[in-house]
Amino acid sequence: MTQTIIWTIAILVILGVVLAVVLYVVAEKFKVEEDPRIDDVEKELPGANCGGCGQAGCRAFAQFCVESEDLDKCFCPVGGNDVMQKVAAVLGREVAAKEPMVAVVRCNGTCENRPKINEYGGYQSCRVKASLYSGDTGCSFGCLGCGDCVEVCQFGAISMDPQTGLPIVDEEKCTACGACVKACPKGVIELRNKGRRNMRVYVSCVNKDKGAAARKACTAACIGCSKCAKVCPFDAITVENNLAYIDFTKCRLCKKCVAECPTGAIHAVNFPVVEKSVKKEE
Amino acid sequence: MDRLIVSPSPHLHTKTSTKSLMRDVVIALLPAVIVSVLFYGWSELLVLGVSVASCVLLEFLITKYLLKGACTIGDWSAVITGVLLALNLPATTPWWVVFIGAVVAIGVAKMTFGGIGQNLFNPAIAGRVFLLISFPTYMTDWTKPAGFIGNALSDGYTGATPLGIAKEGGVAALEGMDYLQTLFFNIGGSAGELSAIALLIGFVYLLARKVIRPYITLSIWATVIVFSGIFWLISPEVYTDPVFNLLTGGLLLGSIFMATDYVTSPMSNWGGVIFGVGIGVITMLIRYFGAYPEGVSFAILIMNSVVPLINKVCHAKKYGR
Amino acid sequence: MLKTFSIGGIHPSDKKISKDCKIEVLPVPSKVYISVAQHLGAPATPIVKAGDKVKAGQVIAEPAGFISAYVHSSVSGTVKSVGPRKDLAGNNVMHIEIDVEGDEWAEGIDLSEDIVASIPEDNKAILEKIKLNGVVGLGGATFPAHVKLCPPPGKKADCLILNGAECEPYLTSDNRIMLERSKEIVIGAAIMKQVLGGCPAVIGIEENKPEAIAAMKQAVSELQASEKGYDGISVMPLKKKYPQGGEKQLIDAVMKRQVKSMGLPIDVGAVVQNVATSLAVYEAVQKNMPLVTNVLTVTGDCLPMENQHNYKFRIGMPLSYIAEYAGGIPKEAAKIISGGPMMGKAIANLDATTVKGSSSLLYLTPEQTVRGVESACIRCGKCAEACPMGLEPFLLQKYARNGMMEELEDNAVQDCIECGCCLYSCPANIPLLDIIRIAKGDVIKIIRGRGQR
Repeated sequence: MTQTIIWTIAILVILGVVLAVVLYVVAEKFKVEEDPRIDDVEKELPGANCGGCGQAGCRAFAQFCVESEDLDKCFCPVGGNDVMQKVAAVLGREVAAKEPMVAVVRCNGTCENRPKINEYGGYQSCRVKASLYSGDTGCSFGCLGCGDCVEVCQFGAISMDPQTGLPIVDEEKCTACGACVKACPKGVIELRNKGRRNMRVYVSCVNKDKGAAARKACTAACIGCSKCAKVCPFDAITVENNLAYIDFTKCRLCKKCVAECPTGAIHAVNFPVVEKSVKKEE
Repeated sequence: MDRLIVSPSPHLHTKTSTKSLMRDVVIALLPAVIVSVLFYGWSELLVLGVSVASCVLLEFLITKYLLKGACTIGDWSAVITGVLLALNLPATTPWWVVFIGAVVAIGVAKMTFGGIGQNLFNPAIAGRVFLLISFPTYMTDWTKPAGFIGNALSDGYTGATPLGIAKEGGVAALEGMDYLQTLFFNIGGSAGELSAIALLIGFVYLLARKVIRPYITLSIWATVIVFSGIFWLISPEVYTDPVFNLLTGGLLLGSIFMATDYVTSPMSNWGGVIFGVGIGVITMLIRYFGAYPEGVSFAILIMNSVVPLINKVCHAKKYGR
Repeated sequence: MLKTFSIGGIHPSDKKISKDCKIEVLPVPSKVYISVAQHLGAPATPIVKAGDKVKAGQVIAEPAGFISAYVHSSVSGTVKSVGPRKDLAGNNVMHIEIDVEGDEWAEGIDLSEDIVASIPEDNKAILEKIKLNGVVGLGGATFPAHVKLCPPPGKKADCLILNGAECEPYLTSDNRIMLERSKEIVIGAAIMKQVLGGCPAVIGIEENKPEAIAAMKQAVSELQASEKGYDGISVMPLKKKYPQGGEKQLIDAVMKRQVKSMGLPIDVGAVVQNVATSLAVYEAVQKNMPLVTNVLTVTGDCLPMENQHNYKFRIGMPLSYIAEYAGGIPKEAAKIISGGPMMGKAIANLDATTVKGSSSLLYLTPEQTVRGVESACIRCGKCAEACPMGLEPFLLQKYARNGMMEELEDNAVQDCIECGCCLYSCPANIPLLDIIRIAKGDVIKIIRGRGQR
C-alpha cells in the first residue's frame, strides 16, 4: 500500500519536472523577439479590433504605429484624439489632433417619400439585393433597408427605424470606424466631421438620376437644381451628375442652402431650435 | 397581388420541409409504436405519453423562456425524440424516470447545444444512456406487463433479453430460441425492440420517401454480420451468430432510426459508411467483450462524437476534380 | 439507359404546358427600345443618333471590345433618342429608342422561307458573317457565338454539342423551334461543325420532348441523304433531370468528360451551343439575317390554355406590350420571370424590353414562389445531394456568412454554376444560393487578382 503511494508520487513528480524542462526549452528556443513598445501601445488602444484604422486589428495597428515614421498617418477612429495622444506619449512622439467624425446616412427615402413598387423576396441582405436589382423602390441609388450596416457595426451604433425603414446612427456610440461605409453596397453612408457642437449640414440623398426621374421616385430626392450651390457663400456645394454635395471642410453651417432646397433634401441636424425656418430636425 | 415579388433565382421550391421530413420519421415509427402498445398495454401507453408530452413541453418551455427565441416544437423533432426515448425504455419504466430521461434528452443533449441542428449527440440516446447508468434496476426490469393481445408469455413473467441470456449463460443458454419470434414479436427488451418486421417497415417507408439514405443503416448491418460472422465461424460455441446479432437488442431500432438522425450523422455518403462501420464494430465489441449485454446506444454515442471529424475528412466527389 | 450527368441533380415537375402552342409572330409595336447590352461582355457603342433613319437589320451599335457584339435595329423607322433607360432589373442601361415606320429591311437580307442547305466553304467568311450579324449564345449566357467558335491556338474541338435539353420547367421555345425549324437547326449545326474543323456534332434533347427528338432525327437523316457536309451529326436523347442543359453537365452527359475548375469547355474538346443559337447561325450565314428575332414562351399555371403562347418577337419590344398582347397579366401572378423558374430573372420593371436572349414571360403564383421562413439547418445533406457540381452548399453558406474566403476557395465555391438546386431542395428554406452567389463573386475576384499579380 505505502509502496504504491510512494511510486505514484514519485512518477508524478518526475513527469512534472521533465515536462517543465521541455516546456522551458521550447519556450526559449522559439521565442519571438518583439518590440516591447508594441505591447505598451496596444494597452492604450480600445481593443475593439474593428479594423477602422485600416489595419487587421488593434495589435496590427500598434505595430503599425511603432514602425511608421509619421504618427499623423495613423489614426484610431474608435479611440479618437485621446487615445492617439496617449499612443504618442508612449512612443515619445507628437501627433496632431484630428477632427472627430461620424457616420451619416445620406438617404431620406422613407416609406412615404419613396413608395415601394415591388416586394423583395430574397435573403435580407443589402449586398444580395443590390446584386440582384435596383431595389424595391423607384430609386436605384438609395438605401435598400436590409440592414447590412447594422450587422457590421461592432458598437451597436446603427439601428433600423421600423417607421422609415432607414438606418439611424447613434452619434454617441458611433466611433467612425467606417465599417458601415464599406458594408453599404449603395455608398449611402459617408463619414463626415462631427462639426461644431455636433451641428452638421448635408445633402441627404445620393440619387444621380435626372431631376424629374429622381423626383418621381422619391419626393425628398435631390433633383440637382443647383439652387443650393448658387446660394452658398463659401463655395462648399458642388453639383455633379444631378446631385449636390456639401464639402464639410468648407461648410460654415450658415444653413442658407437648407432654406433654399425645394425638396428638403438638405438636412441640418443638431441646431438649436430658434428659427422657424428650420424644416428638418432629427 | 398589388406588388410583384422580386427575388434571386431559383423561383421554385420543393414541397419537402423540415416539418414534413420529421413527420415522415414519426410515421415510419408508427408500426413499432403500435406493436409495442399492443403487446405491452397500458404501461407502454403511459411511457409513450409521458415521454412525448414531456419532450414537447420541455422544448416549448426552453425555447420560449430560456432561449427567448422562436419556438421549434412545430417541426416535430421533439416528438421524434419523445417516441424514440419511449421505445428505448422497458415498458415498466416509472413515469418519473421517463421524465428525467426527457429532461436529459431535450434539456441537456439538445437545447444546451443550441437546439435543433446544433446538438452533437442524439438526444433520445443520450437520455436512454443517462437512465441506463443512473437507474440500472428500472432499465433492466424486463417484466412483461399485460398487453392488449398476444399472451405467449404469461403476465408477470420476468424475462431477460436474448442478449442478456447469451451474456449470462453463453450460447448454450439460447438453446431452443426461435428466430421467427424476434422477427415478429415477443422477445424481452425495450419497447421498440419488440418486432423486427415493424422496424423494417419503417425503414422501407423512410427510404421510399427519400427521408434517409441507406448507407449508414446498411453499413451497420454489414459490419455486424461480417464481424460476428468471423467470430462465429471461429468458435460457434462461444460467440452468437450473425442473424441473432442482427435481429436482437436495439440494433435495428438504433441503425434505422437513431444512427440516421440527420444532425448527428455525417453528411456525405462515404462519411456515413465510416460512421456505420464504427457503430457496428463498437456494438459488437461491447456485446462480445464488454460488461453490458447490449452496446448499440453506446456505439452510436461514441460515433456521434466523431462525426465532426468524419465531416472534415469525407467530402462528396466534386465535378472536374 | 439514357445518358445523363453523373453528380447530383433534381427532378422538379417539368410543366411544359405550352409545348403544343405553335410559334406565332408578334406584330411590331409603334416604338421599340433596343438595349446595347444584350450580350456578355462590353456593351456595344451606339453608332446612330437621334433623327437618323434606320432599316430593319441595320447595324445600330458596334462591339466595344473582343468580347462584345453587334446590335442591329429590329424595325425600320427613325431614331428618337439614345440614352439611359431601365432594364428589367431596374438599372439604367443605354437604349436606342426607335419610332417604327413601316417594315423595310436592309439590303442583302434573304427574307424568303426557302431552306438553303448547301454550306459555303470559306470558314473565315462564315465566322465574319456570324460576327457581323450579332449572333450570341441564346442558352442564357448570351456569350458572343463567334468567340466560342474560334478555339484558342493549341486547342481543338472534339465534339460540338447542340443543347436542346431545355431542362428548365415551363420553357417550350426550344421545343417549338426544334419542331418547326428542325432542318434550319441541323444546317446551323453543320455550319458550326465545319468551322470547328469537322468534329462530330451531337444534339442533346431531354426525353420529355419525344416529338422534338423525332423531328430532329428526321431532319438529320433527310439532310444527310440529300446534301454533303452532314455526316457525323446525331441526336442523343437524355434523361430528364435538372440541370441537364447546364454546359458542364451536358458535356459530362454526352462526352463523359469533366471540365476542370475555372476551365473552359474547349479544354476538354467540347463546344456547346444552344439549338436557338444554331438557328441564329443558320439565319446569319445562309440568309444574311442579323439576330433581331427570337422565340419566347408566355406561360404559367395561372394562365388559361388559350393564353399560353410561343411568340416570335423582335428585340426591343417592351415586355408589358407582349404581356398585354398575350391577354394581360393574370391576377394570381405574384412574380413574373424572364427565363426559366430555376435560373431566370424576376422582372422588377415590366417596361423593360426584350433582348436577344429573352426566352419567356413566366407567371408564378404566390403559393409556388413565396419562400418559406428560414429555420435552422438540420444537416440533412439534401443540398449536397442535389448539387450537380458536387459542392456542399450547407458548408459554403456557413463559411460565406463568416467571411472565410480561404475555406470557401478550398471548398470550390468558384465552381458553383448557380443552378439553384441547393436552394430548391433545402427543407429549412435557407437562402443558400443567395449567399453563395455573392461569395462566389468575391472568391473569383480574389483568384483573378492573384493571377494578375
